[in-house]
Amino acid sequence: MKLIQESSKTKIVNNLIVGMLAVYGISQKQFNLSEPSLFHQVVTEVISPVQEGLANSKKSLSSLWDNYLSIVNTSKENNVLKKQISRLESDLTSMEEMRKENLRLKRLLTFTDEQPYNKIMAQVVGWDSSNEFKVIRLNKGTKHGIRTMAPVVTDHGLVGYVYRTTENYSDVLTILDQNNRVDIVVERTRTHGIVEGVFNFKCALKYITRNEPVEVGDKLITAGVGGIYPKGLKVGMITDITKENFGMTLSIEVVPSVDFDKLEEVLVLTPLDSGKSASLLPTQSPVIEEKKI
Amino acid sequence: MKMRLSQLLASFAITLALLTILEVVTATVLPALGWYEYRLTFNVLIIIFLAIRLDSPIVPWMVMSLQVVHSLFSVEGWALGTFAGLIVMTSANYLKEVLHLTSALITMLTVQLFQLIWYVTVTMIICLKISNFDKFGMIMWSFIPGSILLSMISPLLFWTMEKIWRVPSEGGPRGVEI
Repeated sequence: MKLIQESSKTKIVNNLIVGMLAVYGISQKQFNLSEPSLFHQVVTEVISPVQEGLANSKKSLSSLWDNYLSIVNTSKENNVLKKQISRLESDLTSMEEMRKENLRLKRLLTFTDEQPYNKIMAQVVGWDSSNEFKVIRLNKGTKHGIRTMAPVVTDHGLVGYVYRTTENYSDVLTILDQNNRVDIVVERTRTHGIVEGVFNFKCALKYITRNEPVEVGDKLITAGVGGIYPKGLKVGMITDITKENFGMTLSIEVVPSVDFDKLEEVLVLTPLDSGKSASLLPTQSPVIEEKKI
Repeated sequence: MKMRLSQLLASFAITLALLTILEVVTATVLPALGWYEYRLTFNVLIIIFLAIRLDSPIVPWMVMSLQVVHSLFSVEGWALGTFAGLIVMTSANYLKEVLHLTSALITMLTVQLFQLIWYVTVTMIICLKISNFDKFGMIMWSFIPGSILLSMISPLLFWTMEKIWRVPSEGGPRGVEI
């Protein structure tokens, strides 16, 4: 009886200690900027190469599924022939992939000429494993010149900003994430607003008053205020506008310019003068200060 | 059934390794195959197993360690899930007399129930942190499709975990005492 009571006491004490640690951890947590601990940096450096390897083997995985598994039950001769065809198809697919990759990289390079920044090309190697956060992991880090708060783009438009970084890897808070807020301008009307991530790979445009003449199809670009994103980057397009019977603002749905389903390579923008980079990038943007969490 | 410390450490090490593999699958392999929209949060499933099937004072520390591993793959961090894990553990403790995972269907329903408790807790904390309860429904909804899939695969994962922790399948809800 005494033993059971002691065990019960230990349970309560452990629950309380871990619970208090968790509450402290939650109170310290910021969802829009993070400085990784040494432990996190070391383990990320160990695990991320595995992620990178798996991300790179995407083509092989698809090829394996399409070209190999589908012919398991055919005759031996057919197997040999089909394997040959599969190999050829796979080669063709690889070549086609290389061609597409070349095109993408060319477009990225053309795009980079327009931006007065150092451009660091990086590959997407993973996504956040939680549902509520839309974060991607890149295969470049501080060693390659990437700093936190650096904007991340593709030739299609804005992806997000660097949330945290280790020596060789960086996590990017995409514009799909509810904790990322982007100051934008409606290209046609020059109306200012804020885009933030919502569910289902879409964003919402906030703080547009009911009398603003915005329309479905209007394009949104970065406003250049807030200290993170340069002015004029494509953000998305208005796809739905709802006028509620109440409230002062419109309820607007935005589809991002970047197709996040097909995101493979991105550019991280850092200021041209690396010596000035630290001072040019503020530690916290006004937008973030506005809603500090 | 009592468990020796060496066995406990071995089982826990295997559990951590399993979680790492599953996190890599969720964060990299599934998106590489075109699965972007929903994440399978295996950490939640493993913690629910520990909460339901293990009866030990050190389970809270295990939950915290599992969440530290999860935080390597998610900006969620360790604290949020640890807190939700403690809530799930406490709920499981209150319900222990009625929890008997005797069939796959009951396992799925039980896991779905505890996932709901987990996600309500996590969503409430996130809403508190961002000072915006308007997003409660949206955040909660984002969890649902993934959680249903997780519940469907929970009998398989629980079976695997029973082997790792050497918990007898028909040994009642609190199969092992450490």
